[in-house]
Order: sequence, then structure tokens, then C-alpha cells
Amino acid sequence: MTSEPLTTPDSTPESDDGTPLTFPKGLVGFPNLRAFRLLEPADGYPLKFLQSVETPEVSFICVDPASIKPDYEVPLGEEDSEALHLESPEEALVLTLVVIPDDARQMTTNLAGPLVINVKTRIGFQIVLNSDKFPLRFPIIVQN
Amino acid sequence: MLVITRKPEQSIVIGGEVEVIVLGITKDGVRLGIKAPRSVQVHRREVFEAIAAENKAATETKVSIQDAAALFRAAQVRKPHVR
Repeated sequence: MTSEPLTTPDSTPESDDGTPLTFPKGLVGFPNLRAFRLLEPADGYPLKFLQSVETPEVSFICVDPASIKPDYEVPLGEEDSEALHLESPEEALVLTLVVIPDDARQMTTNLAGPLVINVKTRIGFQIVLNSDKFPLRFPIIVQN
Repeated sequence: MLVITRKPEQSIVIGGEVEVIVLGITKDGVRLGIKAPRSVQVHRREVFEAIAAENKAATETKVSIQDAAALFRAAQVRKPHVR
């Protein structure tokens, strides 16, 4: 346990440069951040980190939503599919962003703004879904 | 800010490609139709802002990531034990 806030995993950048990804339109609210590295720590580590190349202090915590909500599916519109140049569903990597508040047990993931990435071209877009159907704050840990 | 008065069925054209048409006006609101190329994303401002706020929050974590990851893992393995 560390008291120091960490936004990147323990692994040093030298040992793991991550997967380079391009978001031609940035992320919502971050239109100028286009080049990222996706850091995926060792097997079994549940969180991933999407770090900006242009502004390395900006790193988004994300997760494979299937590990939280196995039936989650992103309805991709025609325009999104075209922009992504997806030839098959297997080429799409879907990630959702994670918000960890001070009480980490209350952490949530945003199912209304998934990142959809073409793993072949390594180009991704953040898709904006109807937040009436897709919660902005889906709880990751079910409270008993 | 440019302010223009439009009546139902009238429209404005923005940048030659985007057209905003007033479809109707009721006491609850104005109904707009938007014609735009597929490459132009159109969102309700509040949806866009809510996602932008969540994105920003996803970059600002004050607690230890390790602690959060441990909680996450613990939650994933909470399958019922059958004896």
C-alpha cells in the first residue's frame, strides 16, 4: 500500500512502452490529445492505462468492460464503423474509462462513452451513447 | 454570438454543410432537425459535457491505484463457494 497517488502502474516506462494508439478526434473534452500509449500491466491486473504521448501527465484509467458487465455491447453506428474501418467485430477493442473516487469502493466505469479501437490500424474513437440506456457511472464493485 | 429569428420550417446553414431546421415549437421546447455530413458529430450539450466530466475524472485519481486494483480483483473473485 502506498500513500503516494499513482496514475501509472509500477512497471517502468523503459520496460513497457505500451501499444501506440491514435485517436484522431481526441477524447471528449480532450480534443487535442491524439497520440496515446495503452499500458496493460501484467496478466490478471484489472486496470489499463491510456497515457497521452503529448501530455504524459494525463493518463486515463480504463478497463475491459466485459470483466464488469459481460453483456455490454456498443451499438456502433454506420458512421462510427466507417471511421474505424472495422472489417470484423474481432478487430474492435472496447475499453471503458474508470473513475476512482476517494472511497475506491465507489469506483465506476462510464458505459456511455466507450473507447472503440481498431486493433489492426490502432486507431480509436470515443463513442457517445445515449446515457439514458448506458450509465455514465456504472458501479464496478457491487455493494452488499 | 449571432442571434437569428426563425419560424417553423425555416432553417440556417452553417459552413455550407450543416443545416439546422426548426421543425416545431411547443410550450416545452423547440424541435430541431439537423442535417450534417456523417463526419460531423452532433450531441446534446449536456451528454457531451457529462462524458467530458467523466473523462476528466478518470485522469484524476487521488487514491492508490494499487489499492483500487486490489479491490477490483477482490470483487471479481467473489464467486459463491460451493462445498
